[in-house]
Amino acid sequence: MEALGIIFASIYDSSLGDLTNKRTIASLPFAGRYRQIDFVLSNMANSGINHVGIVTKYKYQSLMSHIGSGQSWDMELGEQLEFLTPYAVGQYGAYQGKLDALNSVRIFLELAQEEYVVLADSGVLCAIDLSKVLKAHVESGCDVTMVTKDGICNGAKQLDLAVQVGEDGIVTDMAVDYKADSSYLASMSIYVLRREYLIHACDEAVARSRYHFERDFLLHEYAAGKLKVNTYAFDNVALFNESTEEYYRNSLAVLDPEVRRGLFRSDLTIYTRPRNEVPAYLGESADVCDSIVGDGSVIAGHVDHSVLFRGVHVEEDAVIKDSILLQDVNVGKGAYLSCVILDKDVQVRPGARLIGTPEHPVILKRGEIV
Amino acid sequence: MKFEKKHCVAMLLAGGQGSRLKVLTENTAKPAVPFGGKYRIIDFPLSNCVNSGINTVGILTQYQPLELNEYIGNGQPWGLNKSHGGVHVLPPYARSKKSEWYKGTANAICQNIPFIDRYRPENVLILSGDHIYKMDYAEMLRAHEATGADCTIAVRDVPLEEASRFGIMNTNEDGSIYEFEEKPAHPKSTNASMGIYIFKWEVLRKFLIEDDEDPNSDNDFGKNIIPNLLNSGHKLYAYAFNGYWKDVGTIASLWEANMELLGQNPEFDLHGKDKIYARNYAMPSSYISRGAVTENSLIAEGCEIFGTVRHSVISTGSTVEEGAIVEDSVIMPNVCIQSGAVVRNAIVGEDCVICGGAQVGGACENEADREISVIGKGTRIKENAVIEPGKVC
Repeated sequence: MEALGIIFASIYDSSLGDLTNKRTIASLPFAGRYRQIDFVLSNMANSGINHVGIVTKYKYQSLMSHIGSGQSWDMELGEQLEFLTPYAVGQYGAYQGKLDALNSVRIFLELAQEEYVVLADSGVLCAIDLSKVLKAHVESGCDVTMVTKDGICNGAKQLDLAVQVGEDGIVTDMAVDYKADSSYLASMSIYVLRREYLIHACDEAVARSRYHFERDFLLHEYAAGKLKVNTYAFDNVALFNESTEEYYRNSLAVLDPEVRRGLFRSDLTIYTRPRNEVPAYLGESADVCDSIVGDGSVIAGHVDHSVLFRGVHVEEDAVIKDSILLQDVNVGKGAYLSCVILDKDVQVRPGARLIGTPEHPVILKRGEIV
Repeated sequence: MKFEKKHCVAMLLAGGQGSRLKVLTENTAKPAVPFGGKYRIIDFPLSNCVNSGINTVGILTQYQPLELNEYIGNGQPWGLNKSHGGVHVLPPYARSKKSEWYKGTANAICQNIPFIDRYRPENVLILSGDHIYKMDYAEMLRAHEATGADCTIAVRDVPLEEASRFGIMNTNEDGSIYEFEEKPAHPKSTNASMGIYIFKWEVLRKFLIEDDEDPNSDNDFGKNIIPNLLNSGHKLYAYAFNGYWKDVGTIASLWEANMELLGQNPEFDLHGKDKIYARNYAMPSSYISRGAVTENSLIAEGCEIFGTVRHSVISTGSTVEEGAIVEDSVIMPNVCIQSGAVVRNAIVGEDCVICGGAQVGGACENEADREISVIGKGTRIKENAVIEPGKVC
């Protein structure tokens, strides 16, 4: 029972504002050293899915350089791992939705030998054994199995896809782009189906100018009574990073030991590209609490309830609270930061003050100097 | 089959037992001993090779090679996974006529003449696997070629009172060596050999074969090859190296070298140019909890610190629980210091557990009284146990 993996690297780029200005959502840094794609790609590697296509659209340079040869995930680029960059299809140019994207990489789907396909986005972070999902799908006899998470639908968060299920886990109601209430389960955007069936679905949908996997295929076919959809209830930590606010909140959530244990499990390792950094150095005057500190960091100031990525420098008397500092940020003496997200290479001059709120963290773009 | 010619091939001697490191090398070759939070000793000479543009390295192993072999793997972390050249682990092996272990440093190279010959190098660089330093071998190679020496030996200036512990090179003004004294009682100079040699391969090859045929030889570079070259009128030059260099062959020096990584301006700075490469394991970034104290310490990836850490090196994947105290110590990878345990002036080996309330080592009033306690790999120190300062277990 073998499955081909397809990862969509850039589906929600637009909802993360400046953070995905020059990168895909897949290459957005997370938890001090990872890129978001590390989670889904490691899940596949850990589940015996070792033929994976990464569907990209724009701005994929940082993603490609992160994946490198694929060696960190024990896959070889060009063999087990392929970048599926947009082929302009007919008159449409870059694709419009997941189905359209799949249609544009149809050859990849056709040439694959695996019986099943596991589709996944890169904005939902979790450590999951996908072989169990695959097994559940095959046993269910359904057309599609989706992985769901409870406790996400709350009437406020708009979900791509939310479902209600019967006791047997079979979907009884389906809604897209909907602020579903807590009686719904959120789709984690992980779907399993037969490869031949997916190719067929692409053909049928695109022929009718339908491009979106959830809306134009799942919901459309389900509503027409043609689709039996099974669910796999995931019962561990799943972080949905689909907006800037969620990214900020979930980044800090990793400081919670329970969340860390759920994401970084001893049985499902999350791999990433190594950077060959020196261990973090915490100086005589450093005062660090409730924080993640990436390797290569040099800390002399105060850091509280924050996530510092690799190579961050914090000088004496600087204060950092409730903040996310991406790779190689420099914070000068006596600076004060509260509720900020500083992208790579940002330089904060000595004495500068930046104060945001949890709902609206201050975001500085890559390389900015304040 | 002959390969493309290489300008210089490095041979790294990694077979020594390192018995002075006691329990730390009981089941591990010395070059595989962890250092500096995430490195192993061999990362230093290996990274120096890569940073110096030398991409063909033979690693001569003999004692407890398992961990070292696994660590080196295909050489990918150092960029040495080449289809031509790259890193090769070279253990002694059985031959049709005679089979033997590596009898000495020179014999180890001699047994691997066929390996070196494949690359037809002009020069061979001989390195040890037990030194911590950053050095540009390319610069030494340029000096070697500029003088036209048959052999160039890296030397460093040591205090006169320590000189009798080293092999001393007595040189003329132009740097040529006229005399070599192994651990002289009354040293004439302070140019200590660092155990780093560059030879013209053609010359070394001849001397290795001659040395191998001499039944009375110790088959050692310092004792045999260098004196023989000198006595037969070959050109030997010293190459002075002024940077940080530490032989970490003893518990005290291993502890010291780790401590010398600490401070605002450390004696040995791992940052800066010439990165030291290491095999990286997939670990999350480290977490420092509320209430933790972390001062003047290096903390590698995958650690969780809830207690107090001062002036220490905490290696990959280690945990210091709430109420535990670690001071002036080296904690090797994957160690757990449980709640209420106190570790001072100690080296704690990989995979150890120091149970709650245990005391390892102790504070010391002044430097002369410092005694380092050592806990061997995989040891569990029971609750409330007391390990005296200087004790090895």
